[in-house]
Amino acid sequence: MAGGLPHPVLLVDEAAKAVGLYKLNDVFHAQVIDSNVIYAWFAMILLIILGMLATRKLAMVPSGFQNFFEVVVGGLESFVVENIGEKGRKVFPFLCALFLFIITGNLIGLVPGLDSPTNNVNTNAAMALTVFVYYNFWGIRMWGAGYIKHFMGPFWWLVPLMLPIEIISHLARPLSLTLRLFGNVRGEEIVLVLLFALAPVVGTFPMYFLFSLADCIQAFVFFMLAMIYLKGSLEHAH
Amino acid sequence: MFGRLIKDKSVRESIASASVVGLNLVSATFVGLFIGWWLDKWLDTKPWLLLTFLILGIVAGFKNVMVEVKKIQKADESEHEGQGGDDEKS
Repeated sequence: MAGGLPHPVLLVDEAAKAVGLYKLNDVFHAQVIDSNVIYAWFAMILLIILGMLATRKLAMVPSGFQNFFEVVVGGLESFVVENIGEKGRKVFPFLCALFLFIITGNLIGLVPGLDSPTNNVNTNAAMALTVFVYYNFWGIRMWGAGYIKHFMGPFWWLVPLMLPIEIISHLARPLSLTLRLFGNVRGEEIVLVLLFALAPVVGTFPMYFLFSLADCIQAFVFFMLAMIYLKGSLEHAH
Repeated sequence: MFGRLIKDKSVRESIASASVVGLNLVSATFVGLFIGWWLDKWLDTKPWLLLTFLILGIVAGFKNVMVEVKKIQKADESEHEGQGGDDEKS
């Protein structure tokens, strides 16, 4: 929970420094690997370890981690299939990975000594651009050249007006995805740091409930929007 | 309130879709402005393309908001219908 403000000790940064991943560049006097990348790796390692723990002893009657992951992944899958239809199963792995990564990234920011990878514009822009490229890829794959019909609006005589408007609103999607996640996570962390300065523990403790909820909602919003965009490109143009 | 937020799926979804509306308006405007500014610099037609694309961006933003709100309204109506159906059954 650093939020870009001067912070005391961040555990993963210190560990990376000890390993030598995190040294200053001679030319630009900047660190070689940014801390958001290091924390993204940390979230990935955490997810990989949890995934391995969950799938180590697979049983018909799930228990422990397997149970937890079955509930989460199964719930998300039924949500996607409910909204997109059976075609949604093809894009579900991407959406699920996105959700799990963002929620892990958001929530590790609440642990003292750790930082969120998602409180940096670069991580969020990378994910938003991936979503943008991915849904356009599926649109072109499904409809070929006919994908342009998705940009043309309902009436043929409105095409010269609708085409630029649709293109602008499609290009605005990655921007709004990036800024929404960045603003929420970064803002939360700044509020936490300021409240901690005002009234240590007493001030921050109630906020943890609010912010862990808000983190989950933000991860869900990103996931839901990616799903809606994919739905738009998989469906027939109206 | 939090309990309802965690338990009730429709509350969660409507909060998620409502929080989307505001930023869509702003980001479409900015994308239009940026495209206009960039095209002006490229084609050397100073203020005209910037103004055109700014207006197109604002229109695109409002269109996004309209589509989003229509979706929320539709979900709301279908939810009420669903509840009505349950009442009739019981």
